[in-house]
Amino acid sequence: MIPEEMGKVSKRFRWAFAVSSVVFLAGLAVSPVREYLRSWKRYERDYVRFAQTRPDTKRLLADFRFEVSQIWIPKMDVVDRCTTCHQGITQPSLQDSSAPQPFRAHPLIPHRVRDWGCVICHRGQGLATEVRDAHETTLAWEQPILSVEYIQASCGVCHRSDLKEAPRLDRGREILVRLNCVGCHRLQGVERPAMLGPDLTNIGGKVTRAWIYKWLKEPRTITASDGTVEVNGYENEDEPRMPKFRLGENELVALSGYLSTLQSEKIQPYKFDPRVVAAWAKRPDLVEQGETRFRQMFCVTCHSLAVTRAGETKLIGGDIGPELTKVASKVNPDWLVTWLRNPQAYFPHAEMPRYQWSDQDLFLVSRYIESNLTDTSLLSDVPNLGSPSLAEVQLGKRLFMEKGCGSCHVIQGVAPQTDFGPDLTSLGRKTISQLEFGNSKIPRTLVAYIEAKVTNPLSVNAAARMPQYTLSQSDLTALTTALLSMSGSSLPAGLEGLVQPAEHVKFRPAGAYGELYERYKCYVCHRFNGYGGTLAPDLSFEGSRAQHKWIVDFLKNPQTLRPTLTFRMPQFNIPTEEATVLADYLAMVTQSPNVNMAAVETKAFTPQMVSLGKQLYEVKYQCQSCHTIGSSGGYVGPNLSNVGNWTNSAWIEEWLKDPQSLVPDTIEPRRSFTDEERTALTAYLMTLKQSGPGKVATAVGRGQ
Amino acid sequence: MKPRFVMVLLLVAGASLGTSCHRKPAAAKSDPLSRAYDSEQDWNDPQRVIPLNYQEAQGKRVFYQYCVWCHADSTPAGPSNRSNLNPMPPLASDGAVFNSLSDDLLRNTITLGGSAVGKSTLMPPWGNTLKQDDVNAVITFYRAIAQPPYQPPARPGPQYSVR
Repeated sequence: MIPEEMGKVSKRFRWAFAVSSVVFLAGLAVSPVREYLRSWKRYERDYVRFAQTRPDTKRLLADFRFEVSQIWIPKMDVVDRCTTCHQGITQPSLQDSSAPQPFRAHPLIPHRVRDWGCVICHRGQGLATEVRDAHETTLAWEQPILSVEYIQASCGVCHRSDLKEAPRLDRGREILVRLNCVGCHRLQGVERPAMLGPDLTNIGGKVTRAWIYKWLKEPRTITASDGTVEVNGYENEDEPRMPKFRLGENELVALSGYLSTLQSEKIQPYKFDPRVVAAWAKRPDLVEQGETRFRQMFCVTCHSLAVTRAGETKLIGGDIGPELTKVASKVNPDWLVTWLRNPQAYFPHAEMPRYQWSDQDLFLVSRYIESNLTDTSLLSDVPNLGSPSLAEVQLGKRLFMEKGCGSCHVIQGVAPQTDFGPDLTSLGRKTISQLEFGNSKIPRTLVAYIEAKVTNPLSVNAAARMPQYTLSQSDLTALTTALLSMSGSSLPAGLEGLVQPAEHVKFRPAGAYGELYERYKCYVCHRFNGYGGTLAPDLSFEGSRAQHKWIVDFLKNPQTLRPTLTFRMPQFNIPTEEATVLADYLAMVTQSPNVNMAAVETKAFTPQMVSLGKQLYEVKYQCQSCHTIGSSGGYVGPNLSNVGNWTNSAWIEEWLKDPQSLVPDTIEPRRSFTDEERTALTAYLMTLKQSGPGKVATAVGRGQ
Repeated sequence: MKPRFVMVLLLVAGASLGTSCHRKPAAAKSDPLSRAYDSEQDWNDPQRVIPLNYQEAQGKRVFYQYCVWCHADSTPAGPSNRSNLNPMPPLASDGAVFNSLSDDLLRNTITLGGSAVGKSTLMPPWGNTLKQDDVNAVITFYRAIAQPPYQPPARPGPQYSVR
């Protein structure tokens, strides 16, 4: 090589050397720069800058450290780094909306955020330190952040019992039970009751084939004589629990044919006293008396009727039993009379009480139902079906199993179906890859899947067997919340205390009282020692509260203590002997340990005490704002006009001391009376007595 | 040739830096009103739904158990007792009445009763029945549903500079 050229080469090399060194150094610098610019570090620097603009900088930065901050809960297997960016999460001064996200403080909740972290409630990926990884669905992490409207699902993961603080979750759990989801699905915390849908063993004797056809086709429509009432959506609590199965015409014909043949025993028409029937023949206006009896008996406490007022048709009444607006177009009249006399003979599990009927009452009420609660055009759009052919019956029998009818309905001799639908006990933990989306256009998330499936089962699976429900938007959100709470796992050690076992111990007294208790189904509305319904007052301590004679009189002619309520105790026509048996038991057994009957001596009350008590009641404490005496006062609490005949004086004393100790959820405020004031008030209240029986109350009727 | 090579290298480095820049979290969905712990219908405008946070939702629960009977025109069971009382209790949503009253005054009225703060004795004291948390929750619920809307008083400035 020529020496001059060597100089050139080395110069060129020197250039290349210099450039590659710069490039190399720049390449090396990428890593620290990237490290410096990591998103969590940028948020932390932003936080320091932000804190310096606030008046309480010192406090905000007191426990700030420039590092990944982490909450570790080993027993729940949770590592949570959310507080790295959400630095202000526990700073009370950052509560309001003037603090920008991600630095705003968490609203007040019962759990300490520093102890429990974020992902237990909000889900998402706690380990992540990048915004997208933490909040969204990524390839490595399928559970995104749970939207706030479903957040109560996370409460339900640990709090398996009812939780009044989480109303949406409670409502969702209630819907799951009410809609009998447990008929086909396994659900966490919901047990299969003894009876889901009605027993169909004898359905052929109760309803006609045409009615079954109509019911199977569209259980959601009732037609009123003045137009069509659509009972849309579960929001109206009177919607039938039977969902709509998408049945074809020949399926409807076959199933209705099969079911109409089910009749193991023929119904024997009840023979009325001929004198009653003869009286009816002469006095057709007696049907009005039937209506009066129907109202006096308060059938509407459990059953609803369509009522038209001011051009608006509404269903009014309770939802324990079925809606009755057109029941006479549904059931066979002979069946109706047999049922009214003894519902348990037809359905052993029926919750309808066995009334004491006189022939006259039974005749009038059944005639009223047959002539007034009817609609001749109800079945006018049903094709003429005739009696079913053998092929139809056989197809119907097969369809009964194929459609899963046996999951809710029992037919004697047909094996009941269980687990017809998929197990949902761990639905809330399912990942996207475990779900079937079909060709639907919905977002690929668990929440969207559940909502789409419940709204229209066919939208995610064209071959779905699940029937069609109609839910309002708020109920859909509630139901989704309850389903998302099903985590399938057992609770971590130390948290088992959160599961309060539901009260399954049935209160089933024995003896003469037990028989009457079953006959009148007291527990459907009243609660005894934690078992029973919640429609009517808890009677666990009724013996301490009410006087024996009052109980007897009340059972014979129940007059509500709160006249403004629509739902009242039905009139069972209980004879005196039975009422005495019931009152004996209640007075003897249902005693509160807090009420000492011997402690208060009524005879020691003086007129001075009474007049002081009256003054306290009317002036100092103004009890009349909630209670009525005579014709004036409020109607929040019970009417006290007859309290001297109603309650025991020891109960009043204890009630004035601490009402919540006797009825835990009563809204009577506990006040700080002195002993003297309490005795004076008791003395005054015990003088309030009404004589003579009041008039018989009558339920709100149709068309009034 | 060489400058081009350098350019390529710089571009690659720049791109790799760019990806690590932090991104703003996705904007909230279109309907923020239903996206809340719980909600309450505006008492004057059934179309409007008011979102409630946890504490306000607890206030709603306590309100509908204890207060609704006299502080609303419709109740969950039976007619309202409100029109029955003289003086008539204000509606819970009546911002014209409640907005000017401080949290402390409301807390005392609920806890000690109307007579303790110079109001009607018809309002009983709830201090022995409700927990302090419940009382605070009810106040936040009143604030949430107030019409005209409640404006919290300006935060008192710091007494002295912390810096």
